[in-house]
Amino acid sequence: MMNEEMEQFERRLSRQSLRRIPAEWRAEILREGRRAAVAGIGDAGTASLPILNWRMALANFFWPHPKAWAGLAAVWILIFAVDFSVRDKSPVVAEKAVPPSPEVIVELKQQQQMLAELIGANQAREAGLPRFLPQPRSERVEILMT
Amino acid sequence: MRRETEIERLYDGHAQPLYAFLLNLTRDEADTRDLLQDIFVKLAREPELLSGVRDERAFLIRLAHNAAIDLIRLRGTRDKTKENFAAETVSPFAPANDPDEKIFREELASALAELPEEQHAVVHLKLWEELTFEEIAAALDISPNTAASRYRYGLDKLRDRLRPLHEEMKKAE
Repeated sequence: MMNEEMEQFERRLSRQSLRRIPAEWRAEILREGRRAAVAGIGDAGTASLPILNWRMALANFFWPHPKAWAGLAAVWILIFAVDFSVRDKSPVVAEKAVPPSPEVIVELKQQQQMLAELIGANQAREAGLPRFLPQPRSERVEILMT
Repeated sequence: MRRETEIERLYDGHAQPLYAFLLNLTRDEADTRDLLQDIFVKLAREPELLSGVRDERAFLIRLAHNAAIDLIRLRGTRDKTKENFAAETVSPFAPANDPDEKIFREELASALAELPEEQHAVVHLKLWEELTFEEIAAALDISPNTAASRYRYGLDKLRDRLRPLHEEMKKAE
């Protein structure tokens, strides 16, 4: 009796239909899968000959005299260090420069004002003149004939 | 090209049951989507995973189960550190037209969510995937006896919770 009841209950449970997978997921997930597969092939290909040969060639080039390469690297580091220390001094020199005196500033302002006036007068004169309008060549010939 | 068709075959053959299983365990559609994608990406990247596998379904269920467990544990620690009041869960069941069925499915979804994870997984695989205890044992890496006892405990809890509704529906039939 108990078993029968339990079986009925189990049957009721298993009759409940489950949610369906959204159809649009298929394309999206397979696209990601394809991408991964291609990347996987790419990863496997890293052991392929050209890159391996290039690495080996580089290693063969550097390895025979490691001390010589280390010495060269140290020299370059020293050159860079000296270069940077020299560059560091330039802003200090600029900071130490004497600021211009008030007389010089007044003189500069006067010059600027004069220049502004001159440009202004020139512009006013240009505004008074009739504007030149280019004409076709045939019309210019007619004017000359008359 | 062969890899692509192989992934398509695997998807068409197993995505639906894996989806249902993952959704039942995680109760989150976005998480289910991520886990499902991770599984198929893994298979695409490492096709050798399936070489020598006798039961593809069992193997994929194991992958899905492990992924879901990892996620649930991560979610547990995340929720402990972060307050997560607005966690909306998705029912693993299709919407029902009959109002009684609708209520029953809602109650069932809620009762399933309260089961311990190990019972939850076994109950799902037995009831909705119709796997034998041997198959469940193989998929979840447990003994058939453990699978059977987990199922029995889980089912008892569901029956206790759903008995009034079940009795009512039985009378109505």
